[in-house]
Amino acid sequence: MSSTREVYVSRLQAEHLYKVFGRRPEAAVQRLEGGADRDELRADGTTAAVIDASFEVEAGQIFVVMGLSGSGKSTLLRMLNGLLEPTAGRVLFDGQDLTALAPRDLRAVRSRKISMVFQHFALFPHRSVLENAAYGLEVQGVPRAERQERAAEALELAGLGGWETSWPDQLSGGMQQRVGLARALATDADLLLMDESFSALDPLIRRDMQDQLLDLQTRLKKTIVFITHDLNEAMRLGDRIAVMRDGRIVQNGTAEDILVRPANDYVASFIQDVDRSRVLTAGSIMNTQAGAPDGAATVPAATPVAELFTPLARSTDPVTVTDEQGEPAGVVTRDLLLAALGEEPEVVPAPRTPGAAETGKSPAAGKPAETGEPAEGATPARADEAEVSARA
Amino acid sequence: MPRIHLGSWAESAVSWLQTHLSWLFDAINTVLTGMYDGVNAVLGGPDPLLMAGILAVVAWWLRGLLPAVLTFAGFALVDSFGLWEAAMATLSLVLVASLITLLVAVPLGIWAARSSKVSGVLRPALDVMQTMPAFVYLIPGVMFFSIGPIPGLIATVVFSMPPGVRMTELGIRQVDGELVEAATAFGTTPRDTLTRVQLPLALPTIMAGVNQVIMLALSMVVIAGMAGAGGLGEAVYAAVTKVDIGGGVESGLAVVVLAIYLDRMTGALNQRVSPLGRRAAAKAAAAARGLAVLRYRPGTAVATVGVVVLALVAGGMNLARSGDDRQSVAAGANIGQGRGIKLGYFPWDEAVATTYLWQNILEDRGYKPDVKQLDPGPLYTALAQGQMDVQFDAWLPTTHKQYMDRYRDKLTDLGAWYGPTSLELSVPDYVKGVDSLEDLKGKSGLFGGKIVGIESSAGMMGTLNDKVLKEYGLDGEYKVVSSSTSSMLADLDRAIKKKEPIVTTLWSPHWAYGKHQLKKLKDPKGAWGKGEEIHAVGKKDFGKDFPEVTAWLKDFKLSEKDLASLEVAIQDGGKGKEKASARGWLDAHPGLADKLAPVSH
Repeated sequence: MSSTREVYVSRLQAEHLYKVFGRRPEAAVQRLEGGADRDELRADGTTAAVIDASFEVEAGQIFVVMGLSGSGKSTLLRMLNGLLEPTAGRVLFDGQDLTALAPRDLRAVRSRKISMVFQHFALFPHRSVLENAAYGLEVQGVPRAERQERAAEALELAGLGGWETSWPDQLSGGMQQRVGLARALATDADLLLMDESFSALDPLIRRDMQDQLLDLQTRLKKTIVFITHDLNEAMRLGDRIAVMRDGRIVQNGTAEDILVRPANDYVASFIQDVDRSRVLTAGSIMNTQAGAPDGAATVPAATPVAELFTPLARSTDPVTVTDEQGEPAGVVTRDLLLAALGEEPEVVPAPRTPGAAETGKSPAAGKPAETGEPAEGATPARADEAEVSARA
Repeated sequence: MPRIHLGSWAESAVSWLQTHLSWLFDAINTVLTGMYDGVNAVLGGPDPLLMAGILAVVAWWLRGLLPAVLTFAGFALVDSFGLWEAAMATLSLVLVASLITLLVAVPLGIWAARSSKVSGVLRPALDVMQTMPAFVYLIPGVMFFSIGPIPGLIATVVFSMPPGVRMTELGIRQVDGELVEAATAFGTTPRDTLTRVQLPLALPTIMAGVNQVIMLALSMVVIAGMAGAGGLGEAVYAAVTKVDIGGGVESGLAVVVLAIYLDRMTGALNQRVSPLGRRAAAKAAAAARGLAVLRYRPGTAVATVGVVVLALVAGGMNLARSGDDRQSVAAGANIGQGRGIKLGYFPWDEAVATTYLWQNILEDRGYKPDVKQLDPGPLYTALAQGQMDVQFDAWLPTTHKQYMDRYRDKLTDLGAWYGPTSLELSVPDYVKGVDSLEDLKGKSGLFGGKIVGIESSAGMMGTLNDKVLKEYGLDGEYKVVSSSTSSMLADLDRAIKKKEPIVTTLWSPHWAYGKHQLKKLKDPKGAWGKGEEIHAVGKKDFGKDFPEVTAWLKDFKLSEKDLASLEVAIQDGGKGKEKASARGWLDAHPGLADKLAPVSH
């Protein structure tokens, strides 16, 4: 899956990453490759935190890694910028193998190309808000006047203009995380790693922050790896979602893939509580066989199912779904709608090879999570293109 | 279990170090003495009240007006006790020791915080440093570094090091791991992570460690005063050994003033030096109520100006004064040519008396005598090392036999100036029917079965236990309670006030015979041995270094009458005025100085 061509197209690639804590980790990797499982290793006192994780994140994509605590998602994230050294495997960013870099070069990459937002904000309490936002620039050696200007811009971008001279302990949690976001944005890094960045916030603030991130993303087009344990958040933010369990990526796909075609019972049990009507789109549930009656309501394929209730309630006629060119592609009837909401997701067993997890779904289903944001209109097309290019 | 001769190994290690690494110790000694003298010159130089003003400005800067006023009052009190110089010497010692400690402790703490191995090795070492009784290394310190502030300094550094290391390590280790991770994630180098994130955040904890280091240093410096470190420790020690309650309270209070000042100031320093501390202080100030003038604290610049102005005034005054500060030495009598001579004494009355007598005489002859109080052990060691020049109170051949045996080759006996002495047991004269040692037999009930002794290390205590009691068959009946000369005298005083029977060890000459009505118990069997003589003993090269003084001391004699009146004069003069009292006594005996230290024409 790592042909030369992809190296140039893909911005971030993880290839067969392993992280084993404990004694003789290399031997443990060999055993894992030979089919040993996590529990066998644990009996020997070694802990396999991440097992054979491979994925690609396209430029400008939000890639969400979702899993419960202990699933290895934070360890995975820390291998991406070298905070943890992988026991085996490679991380390629812009075609550069981060795992092979000398410490000095790795630090240079971290200070210019990768920034990070933390779960508990990790603001420096002895620095003002502006000094916190300017931290990455200070490390880069940017002169004071310039870094203050750029940090102020980043704060403005994160919605904290006017708070420069405040101290972190004077801010609410949401505002503190905005400072954390501004600090990450100020360095102009292309890759943003977000480690459960919104998990410590209360639900309303969390939603605000998610909206803000998506809004920023339409303008800044960063490559983002976002860690969360909250499936709704994953669905809302992720262009692609990788579900982790016990150190392995068990499914990697779009929100719809996961919702409609869960790879196994574990993922299926996960998605029970998800509001399907906001994730499923008209395009994913439509009947392409039936002809559309004249005069019925028409919606684009990306419309969330939740928005079909009103037209279907007003009329017994099915709703016509149009493709990107505006041509009718299928219809959604009341029956189809109710069935889509009611039906248990059908588990599609996927082979346990990492490549298969990625490719084991149909291209037509490559629709991202629908967020309800008008600004997100462009996202599906981008994801589709990305996927096509990845398979070319 | 076979006997492990750790003690003798340590002893040979010490003597090996002494012979082979003396150059190193000399170098260390020179550097440390220079630091101490420099700081002491700065602190002790200005007029006391000006210096108190400077300290008060510092207090104002760190804590506000009320602490500043209290600071000034406290230090003015110390000055009024006549302990200013001692207090500044102690303060200098504390500051130098703390500085050295922190220069070592903070890097060690950082190292320990970064490596669990280092931490694991350091922990037991620090435990040893903190719990090993200080005297154990004070004495070797004297062997390596001569008498004076340096052994005390070293002991202080050793003793106050552990909290500095521990608090630094703790401070760095307790910095939130996510913050360190954040710094790393933004590409910070390990060194910058330390200086930009870990140290600033650990600073409040490190400052708490600094505070502890300084407080421990102060407590240790007082103990080190007993090994000749000088300062308030010496004043406390001198007061205690002389049962001088008033002096003890005064010098003790001076220690307390210093302690409270240092504690409060270093406690508040955190608010000025660490960003977190400043932040907390700003919050507290916003919430505080009360008189604005009490809360006002001058900014750093204002405080610096205040200190500098006061320091300049002090410097100016010293310059103006130094013109008339010259000593007047009679023409033709300037034999010493300003040479220093170190007189050591332990707090026995005849030692105090003769030492201060000779200090005055030697000053008149153009020497610069330096007087220092020490315990007998350290004093003989210092003489043998050549770090002290002379002492006047060697009781020979019995009492100080052990020291003379040990250091015979390294000392010069300058001859006896008084004798014979006698050792005895004494009872108050209201104790009827006890006139001789033989009379003690069967009367243990009367005295509670005990004989009040002096320091167990004293030679006469050995003679008493090993010989006198056995000779008179008293050894099962009486128990000799060893304490200290001052406790013995205090006990005697108490018993006499209540007219209780008491039997104590005593010797002649002693002023107690002048003060109380006492009976010396006769010794018909001669168990105490012959009387001793009191010698002056110099270092090995004393004759070469001070030929004139050697000649004077060889001819030095003092009658019992003269000695007693000198001792009484010094007793009456009071603590801290021994030199002036001896001067007064010398002035009252015209011609004596010329007789004791004749100037050849």
